[in-house]
Amino acid sequence: MNSRGSGFFKSGLVRGAIAGLFGGLVFGLALYKLGALPTIAGLVGTDDGKVGMVVHMIVAAIIGAGFGAFVWHQRAGIGETIFWGLTYGVLWWFLGPLTLMPLWLKGMLAWDIPAAQAAFPSLIGHLFYGVSTALAFVLLQPERRGAKPSVGALLRGALAGLLGAWWLGDMLNAQGQLRTLWTTVAAQSNLVAWMGLLLIGLLAGMAFALLYPRATDSSGASLIRGIVYGFIWWVVGALTLLPSLGGGGWAWSVEEVRASFGFFPGFLLFGVTLALSYHWLSVIVRVLFSDELVPRGEEGIGAEGLRALGRGALAGLFGGLVFTLVMIQIGFLSTVASLIGSTSSLAGLMVHLVIANLVGSSYGLLFRRQAYDIGSALGWGVSYGFFWWILGPLTLMPILLGTTPVWTVQVAASLLPGLIGHLAYGAVLGIVFYLMEARYNPWWIPHEHVDALRVERRKEQVLTSAPALWVFVVAIALIVPIVLGK
Amino acid sequence: MSQERDTMMGALAGFLGGLALSTAMQLQGTAGLLGLHALDLGPSLSLIVHGVHLLSAVVLGTGFGAIFRYQPNGYASIVSSGLLYGLLWWIAGPLTLKPFVLGQGPLWSLEEAVSIFPSLIGHLLYGGITALSFHAFTTLYLWVKPESQCATVSAEKSVKRIVILGGGFGGVSAAQHLGQLLARDSNVEITLVSQSNYLLFTPMLAEVASGGLEPQHISAPIRAVSPRTHFLRAEAEAIDTATQVVQVRTAASAPLTALAYHHLILALGAIPNYFSLPGVETNSFTLKTLQDATRLRNHVISLLESADIEPDADQRRRQLTFVVAGAGFAGTEMIVELFDFIHSSLHFYPHIRAGELRLVLVHAGDRILPELSADLGAYALQKLQARGIEFLLNARIAGAMHESVLLNDGRQIPTFTLVWTAGNQPHPLVKTLPCEHNKSGAVVTESTMQVKGFTNLWAVGDCAQIPDVLSEGKFHPPTAQHALREGRFVAENVAAALRGQPIRPFRFRTLGILVVLGRRTAVAEIRGRKFSGLFAWFLWRMIYLNKLPGLEKKVRVALDWVIELFFPRDIVLAADTTAPTLTPAMKAHRGRRPSRKSFEGKTAEERVE
Repeated sequence: MNSRGSGFFKSGLVRGAIAGLFGGLVFGLALYKLGALPTIAGLVGTDDGKVGMVVHMIVAAIIGAGFGAFVWHQRAGIGETIFWGLTYGVLWWFLGPLTLMPLWLKGMLAWDIPAAQAAFPSLIGHLFYGVSTALAFVLLQPERRGAKPSVGALLRGALAGLLGAWWLGDMLNAQGQLRTLWTTVAAQSNLVAWMGLLLIGLLAGMAFALLYPRATDSSGASLIRGIVYGFIWWVVGALTLLPSLGGGGWAWSVEEVRASFGFFPGFLLFGVTLALSYHWLSVIVRVLFSDELVPRGEEGIGAEGLRALGRGALAGLFGGLVFTLVMIQIGFLSTVASLIGSTSSLAGLMVHLVIANLVGSSYGLLFRRQAYDIGSALGWGVSYGFFWWILGPLTLMPILLGTTPVWTVQVAASLLPGLIGHLAYGAVLGIVFYLMEARYNPWWIPHEHVDALRVERRKEQVLTSAPALWVFVVAIALIVPIVLGK
Repeated sequence: MSQERDTMMGALAGFLGGLALSTAMQLQGTAGLLGLHALDLGPSLSLIVHGVHLLSAVVLGTGFGAIFRYQPNGYASIVSSGLLYGLLWWIAGPLTLKPFVLGQGPLWSLEEAVSIFPSLIGHLLYGGITALSFHAFTTLYLWVKPESQCATVSAEKSVKRIVILGGGFGGVSAAQHLGQLLARDSNVEITLVSQSNYLLFTPMLAEVASGGLEPQHISAPIRAVSPRTHFLRAEAEAIDTATQVVQVRTAASAPLTALAYHHLILALGAIPNYFSLPGVETNSFTLKTLQDATRLRNHVISLLESADIEPDADQRRRQLTFVVAGAGFAGTEMIVELFDFIHSSLHFYPHIRAGELRLVLVHAGDRILPELSADLGAYALQKLQARGIEFLLNARIAGAMHESVLLNDGRQIPTFTLVWTAGNQPHPLVKTLPCEHNKSGAVVTESTMQVKGFTNLWAVGDCAQIPDVLSEGKFHPPTAQHALREGRFVAENVAAALRGQPIRPFRFRTLGILVVLGRRTAVAEIRGRKFSGLFAWFLWRMIYLNKLPGLEKKVRVALDWVIELFFPRDIVLAADTTAPTLTPAMKAHRGRRPSRKSFEGKTAEERVE
């Protein structure tokens, strides 16, 4: 206990604080560039930038120590820790600039859209802080670094990245947005724009392989990971690197973010494509060339996949019914009906329920045996619901109607009820699916053992970055109204 | 215990979260983080509003604790659950319920979301704080009272043991349903004892014997189909109802193992009854297990192989005569399958003429398929006779030797093959029980399937005589259809008995009877409606395919059937241990044929051992 306690102190708190200093430095540079240091100095009653930096670094170290404590029990590995860093960063954005700082300075909270919009650059700064703190925290501890990726993994990552970039480029090109991404740099021709995008894909894919040398968990977990990974690249690429390459500043203010909102769904889908392709490529390689034993409890896709499909379809129906009420209220059913060339609400309802069914079945396939309690069921379900808001009404629906998707602020704003509906749908879907799965024990082991096994797997999952992913996907979903709100 | 603890800690944490939220509300200057301000309660009621807020915070916190539960070291993940929980309540509360209450209906529009954005952050914060304090309180509680944790672990559980004897339809379906009914009850242990580790789908056994289906395809591992059951591959040897112990033996050389039970379900099934007829038991084939089917198939193929090269006409006749005793379902389907198999394989044996074949069905009654109505029986008889199958009605087998069968009227049929389906008797173990038996030896049960005179001894299937409450004075017949339902029903009754609930009498009326007659023909009687011919055959295949346990087996059997449409049946002689190897035979009889005696005569004797 004693040695564990001192380990916690040394490698948790102290290293967390050092990592926090590093993250603070990165964030501090950004603050300096944004000219926000004097505001921070305001915390101690001056407006001197240097004092502001010192205050900032002290706060960064303290918060970093908190991070160390937060992830101390979590599984090692750079990829896992980064997601915790991101989530931790967002958490402190809510707690810092929106809650504690205004409380300290003005004696009130800043929990409204205008304040959140004003603090948007700080949100991105917090994200950078979170990621760099997590990176430094892992690098400070050799035992946390995890496995090195093989050449094969890097190649798979590169291929997956190219696939993702190709899909992103195709979508952007159809909307005439491909060159906009690069106008600030130099791309005058489509070819250069394509090359640049594929290069980003290549880099992102290889970086993904570095973060996750082995694809171990399910396709569903990879998909959610992909959303967050795509978001990172939206922030790093579309909001930071590309604008600054073009000679302008970073596009961190809410107006600029709004202007480049068109890339937001694109990059999320890019991340998903990348992560899923990487996962499936790894699975193919493992199936074809690896001698690994089949994990205990696997029954084969024929048996358990079909069961998951059925359960998912039923759970999707439940989720769809929750959604129906609001769809009737906002008169969206006739839009849905247009998918089959009809305008009647009844046809719309049928189409809507069929879609709910199909999405539910896909959830069943992707996320079978991933939820071990209500918490993780909610996490996966809500995250998957969010993914379908991006993929469904924003992307697939226009394509199926024969037009190109329009990823603009106006369209997204008009689809916001859909966002909330998808989150609610996902929550119901996840919980109902979990309840059905929990009723049936997939293992042919006496049932006390099954319970023990489930607890064990739940513990394992809690130690990965899964909970951080769930929260972060929700955070992304919440950033949407902040960006869109006037 | 831990459920109560988590609920209480959740309530406490919810109170703290609500307090934090209340404070934040005052700081924010609006009184409506939960959206209640829109109800226009007036400023004087703000105290009540706060009270309502706190109360709902406590209720939501209680729910949080009860749903998400405590996990050691899980603070990072519980916070994420808390945030999600807060988000969902934001969607459910201010965004949906409030507009409902106000009569506007939810719109979920951007404007609405933006206008109540503060309450979103409030909800998230509430969720996060509640979750974290829930974790902290529970950790603290366990630290202060560590014995409360140990108590739940070391508490002596009073495990109720249910033992099921027999792995047929009755036993396995009882085990499956008990597993489902008692899934949440960790204090119940279900054990199934059976000699074979698979559930055999007997309606298709004749097709295995005729090479149409692969043996493994009609059997499903009990461990796979009944995942919540402890499976024990053993033979039950003795039952002591006084001490409630079953003695089982896992291997011939192993000592007896005692299995204590609280409830015992007998599903031991039946074994063939030879009525002590001389030579029948040693000189006949039966059709009860997969081994029986494979043995019969190999025997038939090796007879065809011998007959093809046999010069002696009498010997050939003997080899090509096949006798089946009993014209119930099993016997009729068996002879039909044999007929189809032999005829479809004849083109491999150019020296055997179709006219030399003789298939005989011996039956004690005056009509075949007595379970069916008379006209369907007559239809079947006429169909099969037209194909060339011989029927000896009102005749009984009086004895058997390895090369002929004796009838009660003194006739003798020269044959190497007798398949016995003319009689079954309950498993001998049930006869040792100190309870009432019927004249065939089956245990007599109440309509609840409790063995008469016992409350914790149950019997289903062929070894039990269960009164049919729907028709006075009759009993449920020994068919798979009934055994499946009996198993399911006995599971419900045993579960009810364990919970102290009332048990019910078994009610089931036969859905229908289907008998396949080969060559795309069958007869069926479903709820009084009669079918015959191609449609009935199609029904047979669909219904039985549907009843096969597990999708995998369904696919395999369906594939076997499709393959059978396009290719001849397989005549590979697998695992025939009695045929001499070619090499010594060729050495001994250079240029000569192997003699008959060393070949077929030995076969029959060795096989029946």
